[in-house]
Amino acid sequence: MVRFVTNTTKESKQDLLDRLKKLEFDISEDEIFTSLTAARNLVEQKQVRPMLLVDDRALPDFKGIQTSDPNAVVIGLAPEHFHYQILNQAFRLLLDGAALIAVHKARYYKRKDGLALGPGPFVTALEYATDTKATVVGKPEKTFFLEALRGTGCEPEEAVMIGDDCRDDVGGAQNVGMLGILVKTGKYRAADEEKINPPPYLTCESFPHAVDHILQHLL
Amino acid sequence: MAAWGKRLAGVRGVLLDISGVLYDGGEDGGAPIRGSVEAVARLKQSRLKVRFCTNESQKSRQELVGLLRRQGFDISEGEVTAPAPATSLILKERGLRPHLLVHDGVRSEFGQIDTSNPNCVVIADAGEGFSYQNMNKAFRVLMELEKPVLISLGKGRYYKETSGLMLDVGAYMKALEYACGIEAEVVGKPSPEYFQSALKEMGVEAHEQAIMIGDDIVGDVGGAQRCGMRALQVRTGKFRPSDEQHPEVKADGYVDNLAEAVDLLLQHATK
Repeated sequence: MVRFVTNTTKESKQDLLDRLKKLEFDISEDEIFTSLTAARNLVEQKQVRPMLLVDDRALPDFKGIQTSDPNAVVIGLAPEHFHYQILNQAFRLLLDGAALIAVHKARYYKRKDGLALGPGPFVTALEYATDTKATVVGKPEKTFFLEALRGTGCEPEEAVMIGDDCRDDVGGAQNVGMLGILVKTGKYRAADEEKINPPPYLTCESFPHAVDHILQHLL
Repeated sequence: MAAWGKRLAGVRGVLLDISGVLYDGGEDGGAPIRGSVEAVARLKQSRLKVRFCTNESQKSRQELVGLLRRQGFDISEGEVTAPAPATSLILKERGLRPHLLVHDGVRSEFGQIDTSNPNCVVIADAGEGFSYQNMNKAFRVLMELEKPVLISLGKGRYYKETSGLMLDVGAYMKALEYACGIEAEVVGKPSPEYFQSALKEMGVEAHEQAIMIGDDIVGDVGGAQRCGMRALQVRTGKFRPSDEQHPEVKADGYVDNLAEAVDLLLQHATK
């Protein structure tokens, strides 16, 4: 059984599906689990009205959620919203008691022009300023991985996570009892595998290498 | 009348926070807090020594003092301890060349500093200058350094302007700390060196002789007390009622504003 899990907050599930299908990946909608889905589920559960600091392209995943007169703040990867005025608005809501929901707390991500700040630093800024803690719904939170496995019939111990982010993908998965394989592509930087304890089950060159290993050694 | 006033006996020097005690800043220059102009004048007329100890890092000392004088305050540049000049000294001593993430208003305080080929980042209250792009630039400088050094002018969480509460440099400092996995060095309150340099300028000892008056329960009051000074919390500026029940810091006294603090000081301290 395969699940595609992502912390992406820049695309709705539909956009993601379309993009991957165009690249000829064999993938269906119910195999995708994103941190945006996890965020929406939490907003509905808490019955709050969020100020959405998410990419415009992520808005379809929040269709039907009331956003006027907000009493919560949802933060995803949205550099266009991370300037002073908007963050200050969010800060004032939080100081008044609004809930802070972080889609994930990634420190940075890889862009064509180099590394770029993720939402994590800005969530940290708001947590410090308001002396509160965000509820994080994406990787590496345990609930994210457990929710993703729901419906697969697999226990964590029977599952393998393949990712390029040592702390968030591999560390998070291993924390729940899964095996973690770190691939040296994407945002990987030299010696990342030394940054978690216990270290990744396996560190390898790329996704195809990881798949080879699984087919040869783990089935 | 506050019964604890007697605890003010023996004070010889007063350290005054500026923002939230003297005035609230704002886009149009802000406004003095009621009674503060006169309170400063009365302090100056007394035998108590006065020094202004601020974490203001959006404006140069010259700009700040000019603004306050126009509002009627008796204040001069030589009486102000501010973080930017203190930082410049440190940069020179350690041969550091900074990438400056600061408000344009304070750049002149770093006029003598070599900023080519930066080997550290200096972050101050950049206000609107805290755009994603500018934060990202600073982040990239730090990530490229073998030994990343981040110097922060203060680490306040927020401050008060006439329009409301505003995110302060501390929040953005934490953002860069988290992104890079490093710890910043703080120049300014509540660092003990900062208070000590202000006391030295004033020629007064912390213990038994000095008192700090501020609106930040942790940065002003807590920081001052950890240096052996007494400290009063004002209920103006960024003060919020929950500050009076702070789990770690108990001020030596809570006053409505600077005017009330000065009434009590002049009553009890100058005997």
